[in-house]
Amino acid sequence: MRSGLARSALALLLACVVAVVVVPVLVLLRTSWVEGRGRLAEIMTDPGFRSAVANSFWLSAAVTGLAVPVGVAIALALRDPGLPGRNFWRAAVLLPVLVPDFVLAYSWLRAYARAGLTSEAFGFAWPQVQGPVGVTVIVASNAVPLVYLVTAVGLSTRAEPVTERAARASGARPLTVLRTVTLPLLGPAIATAAVLIFVLTLGTFAVPQVIGAPAGFRTITTLIYADLALGSDPQSFVEAITLAVLLVMITVIVVTPADRLLGGRLSLSRTPARDSDWGTGSSTTRILVPIVLGLYLIVTCGLPLLALVSAAFTRAVGVPLSPENWTLDNFLAVLTPRTGQALGRSLLLAVAAGSILLVLGGCTAALSRTRSGRAVSVLVALTLVLPGSVLAIGLLIGYGRWLADTVLIILLAYLAKLWALAHRPISAAVDRLAPAGLQAARASGADLPTALATVVVPVLRPALIAAWGLCFLTALHEVTMSSLLYGPGTETLAVVVLNSADLGRIGVTAALSVIVTVVVLVPGGALWMLGRRSRHG
Amino acid sequence: MAEVLQLRGLSLAYGATPVLDSVNLTVAEGEVLALLGPSGSGKSTLLNAVAGFLPLRSGEIFLRQRLVATAGSAEPPEKREIALVFQDYGLWPHLTALDTVAYPLRRRGVRRDLARSQAQQILDRLGVGQLSGRKPAQLSGGEQQRVGLARAMARQAALYLFDEPTAHLDAQVRDVFLAELAARRRESGAAAIYATHDAAEALGLADRVALLIGGRVIQVGTPQEVYAQPVSVAAARLTGPVSLLAGSDFPVLVRPDWARLGGDRTGVVADVWFRGSHTDYALDTPEGELQLRAPGLPAHGRGEEISWSLERSWPLPGD
Amino acid sequence: MVWLAALFQLWALGACGSQVATTAKPITLYTCVNDTTIQPVIQKFEAAHAGVKVDLFRAPTGQLNARVASDVRSGGLKADVVWACDPLTMQDYVDQGLVGGWTPQTDIPATVRTPDYVGVAVLYMVAVTRTGRPGPAAWTELSRAGKVAVPDPKVAASALGALGYFGPDFYADLKAKGAVQVSTPDDVTTGVAQGIYDAGMTIANSAYAAQKSGSPVTVSWPKPGAVAIYGPIALSKTTTNSGPAQDFLSYVASRDGQALVGSSGSYPTLPGVGGPTTPDDAPTVYPDWKALASSKATLLRDYAKIFGG
Repeated sequence: MRSGLARSALALLLACVVAVVVVPVLVLLRTSWVEGRGRLAEIMTDPGFRSAVANSFWLSAAVTGLAVPVGVAIALALRDPGLPGRNFWRAAVLLPVLVPDFVLAYSWLRAYARAGLTSEAFGFAWPQVQGPVGVTVIVASNAVPLVYLVTAVGLSTRAEPVTERAARASGARPLTVLRTVTLPLLGPAIATAAVLIFVLTLGTFAVPQVIGAPAGFRTITTLIYADLALGSDPQSFVEAITLAVLLVMITVIVVTPADRLLGGRLSLSRTPARDSDWGTGSSTTRILVPIVLGLYLIVTCGLPLLALVSAAFTRAVGVPLSPENWTLDNFLAVLTPRTGQALGRSLLLAVAAGSILLVLGGCTAALSRTRSGRAVSVLVALTLVLPGSVLAIGLLIGYGRWLADTVLIILLAYLAKLWALAHRPISAAVDRLAPAGLQAARASGADLPTALATVVVPVLRPALIAAWGLCFLTALHEVTMSSLLYGPGTETLAVVVLNSADLGRIGVTAALSVIVTVVVLVPGGALWMLGRRSRHG
Repeated sequence: MAEVLQLRGLSLAYGATPVLDSVNLTVAEGEVLALLGPSGSGKSTLLNAVAGFLPLRSGEIFLRQRLVATAGSAEPPEKREIALVFQDYGLWPHLTALDTVAYPLRRRGVRRDLARSQAQQILDRLGVGQLSGRKPAQLSGGEQQRVGLARAMARQAALYLFDEPTAHLDAQVRDVFLAELAARRRESGAAAIYATHDAAEALGLADRVALLIGGRVIQVGTPQEVYAQPVSVAAARLTGPVSLLAGSDFPVLVRPDWARLGGDRTGVVADVWFRGSHTDYALDTPEGELQLRAPGLPAHGRGEEISWSLERSWPLPGD
Repeated sequence: MVWLAALFQLWALGACGSQVATTAKPITLYTCVNDTTIQPVIQKFEAAHAGVKVDLFRAPTGQLNARVASDVRSGGLKADVVWACDPLTMQDYVDQGLVGGWTPQTDIPATVRTPDYVGVAVLYMVAVTRTGRPGPAAWTELSRAGKVAVPDPKVAASALGALGYFGPDFYADLKAKGAVQVSTPDDVTTGVAQGIYDAGMTIANSAYAAQKSGSPVTVSWPKPGAVAIYGPIALSKTTTNSGPAQDFLSYVASRDGQALVGSSGSYPTLPGVGGPTTPDDAPTVYPDWKALASSKATLLRDYAKIFGG
């Protein structure tokens, strides 16, 4: 495979990793070492620090432990081609991804906290939503679509129907088949999803900040935020950087061995799985699954979304939801030329980021069995876990002299942060690439790019679409980095969002989210159609 | 004699497309039934239905005189006494050959070490005992086929279903399997259905042959019957090379070995193929084109006018 | 390919984004003051000084600190003017030698200025209660108001100022009566408006804005007074554009600038300029910022024992 073209592609990939990941991380390491190493002992023995580290770990473990089984279960349940409303469910499960995390915490509070929607409508509230339990549930329910996507991609390429039929023909009951054949074959896909969720949760900030704080639940990320808030004091600033560096080191320790466990290549038959090949579900599951799924989605997605939309249309916080309090003022406040420009810029940036990340993630996934590929995979997990503010600081210190106030530095930030998000769904599918297929294409006269485009890409299409969509949405909703890196003329949506959030104008922020969601749903719907057709192919 | 399998009026469809149409079939104890048909005729579908993977549109399936499937209800595959040998072997990428063959034994509740030793014995009998520690990625196609067969044998089923194995069963494997089957037949009356589109294989392996075209069983009989007395031209084409000559009332089927060189009829040699032990001729005759097989080296060349005679023929009514 | 096209469009955007050449160099302003106040000030300034543009970087205090610190480590502060939201942050910048050394001529009182910076807007920490419950007449009564929320001094400098004024014991008492610490003063306002909390300590702008839009909240200025946090503006020590920058500072501190501040929802510091709602006899108290600056670490540590963290 190591043709000249492949070698230069690898070189380009490594250059990108160095530019967007290694440089900022090294900058941060250096800053922390030069300015902060004297205080390292003091930082690490502070009891607040210890409890924050413990909390971060427990949170990541709990969220992974919750989200992975649920996501896998949903992916398995939605295989059944005879499930009523299956296509609807496959779309509905992805809804949480549409809610930006700058309004996520608020939506849940509004739905479930004291004096929230459930309280008004049904008379009961869920006070634990404010606290570690709430943080875990919210972050987990937002992680489930990710697990589902990675697992669904893995299902269609790894756990083929014939292996399940062989098991049943050998006397195994459906649950035994799951335990002895399907899940082991899915192992690598599940493992890659678990690592992704764990790392993402380590670096998650918005929800613990809004919901964890009142209960005294602090994580490393909220500590960093607090340090930056007092960061005019150089000591606090360096402490923030040092904490982030520690977070990065923890990630390296976790991710490197986990990725190594992602098994060897499993060769498979070459015929792709047809939808009709999957076993038929029983009539009980066909009734149970929609009910359970429906309830789950209403609780984790429906009610918070409803709370969000109601906030967008309500005159002020705290007034009852009756018609006389409905207004379009929030939307009118948002629909200014400035917002339009910012939204346009954010959309373009998100499209560019998604597309470039597809290439970068694809190359990383293709190389995932090699040493350099594994190194890249670990490196990009570091920028995934770095809190956005700190990553932006690293990029500013590293490139600020030349790239400050440009669109490019914002794009670099997106590439750095989301690279891992792009390559893991593709990795989950990439075993599909029987080298024979590629060789056959070359022997039939296709050069490498054409061979890749005609033989590799069609097979990977669901994974590619999933990866692109994830990166696009996350880049669009990203607030912390672009609000730090922007300059005159490169304002993104983040600036508008933070302005309205800082003013306490929840209604306006909610209206913004609704607009962004609508703007995304239209092309998103188109992509969905594409994805469906390719999954049937 | 007891029947292992009985299909009554079996009909199946994928959505709106009918695939099997009122299939009636029986398989007796100890019998090997070849299911012969072109691609897309519904062979795999039939086997999958018998195994329990597909729901019926109508009809009934009896396994060992027990009703296991109707249009409304079906017993799950793991409860039926069937074993399946898959087209592309269907091995599990994550299990070694030994664990793969031990799998059905474990499902029956056999203890792990006992299951493994029994599995090793089966693998030995099929000549791949030394490969027991390998995973499918490290096995050749032929080796994978034997492991798949070993797995099926470990199941100790009443009915073995062979779904168009990609490669022929080589002679040694086939003999081992038939010996196993004979032993099982003595013990428990096991039988086998072998689905294939290869006539030679079907005729050589089976006790009876069922011809399946377009989802319908058009003929069932011994290999000799379906070869020498097919019910239609389509059936004839399935079971061997076909020459159709004009006859008095109906066209007549002539197989290549039913014609001899030398005799009262004439024809012109259109083509000659030397096959080693015999030579095939394509003849242009007044009654039509004829394929003729004669032992030995080529005796005539292209364009030669020769004489030939007909040993036997079989009239075929219109299709 | 699609992504190439997208990349080209981005470059074009970036190019269009850069400023059209003007007669003078633009002033770079870093601030955490919110949009509704900053935008009118910038617009009126640019209108009054033809040819001078103001490049704005606006972000919450934490991001602002990050930006300044990053600038320092990559070639020096890029701002010409910094307008912070609390004196502690500004004093830190002065101590690092980034800003200061010049202040405009103005009648703004000495309580809110130093030789290096001038306070041009004030935040008042007031009490907000859910309508229907009586507002506390004095701060000491806050703990009896029901479920109370206070902002986090590690996150909001206004809360830190309040902590500096009240001392940890005040908060210990609140916590003993069941009070909860949230993140920012806005979270307090939102929480009280939603009904999650019954009362809380927050910024007057936030509370009045909520009240104006119809949320069921009442604002009170408990005795001995609302805690005043002033937001100072200062000149960068490394500016290469000092003329226009000094003009901007003078403008904000002038009667016109202060009137704009007042009409946009913030409280001006210049006496005699109208501002948003202040009840008659609005008592105000001022924390000792110098003392707070030196005792910050101890204070936060003591506080951490109360609310955790």
